[in-house]
Amino acid sequence: MSDPKLEYLCPPGFGPTEVLTALAGHWRLAEEPARGLSRVFYDTFDWALFADGGVLERRAGQAGRGSGPELVWSPRERSESAPESPSPSEALTQPAPTEPSFAAELPTGPLRSRILKVAGIRRLLPMMGVETRIRTLRALDDDDKTLWRAALDESRFRDPQTGREGELALRVRVLPLRGYEDERDALLDHLTLLHGLSPAADPLLVEALEAAGRRPCDYSSKIDFRLDPRARADAVTKTILLGLLDTLERNRDGARANLDSEFLHDLRVAVRRTRSALAQIRPVLPDPVVEHYKERFAWLQQITGAVRDLDVYLLDFTDYQASLPPSLRPHLEPMRAFILAHYDAEQRRLAETLDGAELKELLVQWRTFLEAPVPASPEAKDAASPIKSVADARIWRMAKRVRREGRAINSESPATDMHELRKSCKKLRYLVEFFQSLYPEDDVRPLIRLLKELLDNLGSFQDLAVQAAHLRELAERMRAEGKGDTDTLLAMGALIGQVLERQQRARDAFGVVFAGFLDGDNQDRLRRLFHPGQNRGRERGEDCGAGGEPGEATQPDAGAGA
Amino acid sequence: MRVIGVYNIKGGVGKTAAAVNLAYLSAVGGYRTLLWDLDPQAAATYYFRVKAQVAGGGKALLRRKRGLDASIKGTDFERLDLLPAEFSLRNMDLLLEEQKGPTKRLLRLLRPQSATYDHCLLDCPPSISLVSENVFRAADLLLVPLIPTTLSARTLDQLLDFLQGHARHRRLKVLPFFSMVDRRKRLHRELIEGLPERYPGFLRASIPYTSEVERMGIHRMPLIAYAPSNAAAEAYRTLWSEVMAALDEGGAAADPALGPVP
Repeated sequence: MSDPKLEYLCPPGFGPTEVLTALAGHWRLAEEPARGLSRVFYDTFDWALFADGGVLERRAGQAGRGSGPELVWSPRERSESAPESPSPSEALTQPAPTEPSFAAELPTGPLRSRILKVAGIRRLLPMMGVETRIRTLRALDDDDKTLWRAALDESRFRDPQTGREGELALRVRVLPLRGYEDERDALLDHLTLLHGLSPAADPLLVEALEAAGRRPCDYSSKIDFRLDPRARADAVTKTILLGLLDTLERNRDGARANLDSEFLHDLRVAVRRTRSALAQIRPVLPDPVVEHYKERFAWLQQITGAVRDLDVYLLDFTDYQASLPPSLRPHLEPMRAFILAHYDAEQRRLAETLDGAELKELLVQWRTFLEAPVPASPEAKDAASPIKSVADARIWRMAKRVRREGRAINSESPATDMHELRKSCKKLRYLVEFFQSLYPEDDVRPLIRLLKELLDNLGSFQDLAVQAAHLRELAERMRAEGKGDTDTLLAMGALIGQVLERQQRARDAFGVVFAGFLDGDNQDRLRRLFHPGQNRGRERGEDCGAGGEPGEATQPDAGAGA
Repeated sequence: MRVIGVYNIKGGVGKTAAAVNLAYLSAVGGYRTLLWDLDPQAAATYYFRVKAQVAGGGKALLRRKRGLDASIKGTDFERLDLLPAEFSLRNMDLLLEEQKGPTKRLLRLLRPQSATYDHCLLDCPPSISLVSENVFRAADLLLVPLIPTTLSARTLDQLLDFLQGHARHRRLKVLPFFSMVDRRKRLHRELIEGLPERYPGFLRASIPYTSEVERMGIHRMPLIAYAPSNAAAEAYRTLWSEVMAALDEGGAAADPALGPVP
């Protein structure tokens, strides 16, 4: 037998009195004292817990259980396998005297482990509040034994983000009682057939969000544009850039308040993607516009860099410390203290910029340009071409460049060559991601995965080189400010050694990773997707020709680099 | 799932009252708890107002593929379910006799419940029989309520001798405690002084004889639910905390309901 739904919503006008009257005619009822329950639902800004199939809430005011508020994680759907009995995979609970902030700061236990792996370094934010008055009814037999229990939940929501409040539909919850399934089914029939109650399709959180005009999972840093292949290239490019602008703006408040380090990170990724789109999807938008905004977003990238660098040090600090021999580990502490001492000043400066008139003006002008209709007779050559043909050409061109640059790399190549290849790879990845909806998903997904793997390798090579240089700079500054004694500087030296060693390992692995990209199947896929209907032999001859595409060497860098 | 047997060779020693109240304390403490009423008199079943019937009778209970699921009933208390007794269980010995591996039938029946419950309490019928041998094999520990009389001490010796005489029961943890204690009686006071020294594992909690315990039959619920501050309620709480401590000492390895049947 399949599990019947146990939660029902009452239609408007069917309140607790109506429910009581309807049931009292058929059963001998007893009512438990009513109690209040106040709940705040928490999730990360990008709804990581909800997307993972769970709901986290802090409950206060429930009688009978423990004393204080508790934190409850529960799966969104009751498990199919054990609908009647509570199974260990169901709810996880722990006392919560204070509001949660980061999963890592919760007391150790199953709940913390469950959400830490999903929420990671993101802060748990209050997403919705619900106040409920619960009346519990029991039907009794001749021995006063309970045959079924049902709760009537009268709830009001309060949206902590907008302050909006309102009433929710009366919810009847039939509480599980093992071994009395016939009585339960009689109650369910009575509620649904006689009184027209409908099963609650959504969990309370979703119902409350909807009532407040919101929905879960309304933010993701992932790129997901649904594009029409025949649409004009300039219009589509504006759609993509608008999407990136939305992401940038949605992260601004969190980055300014430093709720967690991912707000700034996502903001910077949106900026980097914007710069890459401006430089790569061309000639589609007017040149002066492209040049102006490339320069303005390079500024934004630059002024947000300092805090991000410090964030990275702090996020990596535990790993840094663990990579050193135990005797050296304590000597690294002054480095953390130094970073923290400078962090607040940098964050304040960042907040001022994010709040400042210069950025406000940039974003307003940018949005005005993006939201303006495309001109009937555009100046850029490909502006009115179908986006698919522009996307094909731009991706194919960049794929060839990656292939050429990668093939030229050998064990003697300077680090700058690896850096150039990484920039090209990143441009290719962004292009493929922007335009992924134009291509069959089964082909595009593996390609993005492949590029990600390649970028991870190149990224660790490059990032580790930058890290080593930064650590050295940091050591200089600490010495200049009299904050690093000999032991600390030596520990940092050992750390730089570790970083450079890891960099060498990344370099050693490059050959294998790039061979994956050059693999025949992957190259066939690239050709099939982005350069269909062309003679393979001719292409190959073209690839081998020296000098690449005309004019490419003089193309300005798209700024998609690290 | 940890299995706790409540047992004495002798009847009328406060066994059911202990099983019912400890099961209630387990559930209140947040543990998903099953109380199995193995006594055909069905007193525990009566205390929870559940009808004394088992789907298909005792025979089906022991044979059925889906084991106990069809007969378990939710009580009026959260997290506390009951497997009721019925009169046909008086023949349980005969029914067990017909089974393959007649002394580990209970263990086999309980195993599928181990994902659903944290604790299972067995309210056992008196006397040494195939049923009690099944209990000895299924239980992580055996609670033995003793009225402080010389005869009671004798039955405890009988039990310990029996367990010692059977290799497969030798490792069973036996925890005696005093029950129905009347401090006005000199004999009770004397035995409470002397007896525990003779038996390792004797628990400190001692359940007083109070008329409130007898009223469980009128209230039809655990004493602690209607008279939480009664002296006996307090004693059951002490007893439960000692049982929990003993379970913790046992560790997960001593969980026969989860392990393979030898």
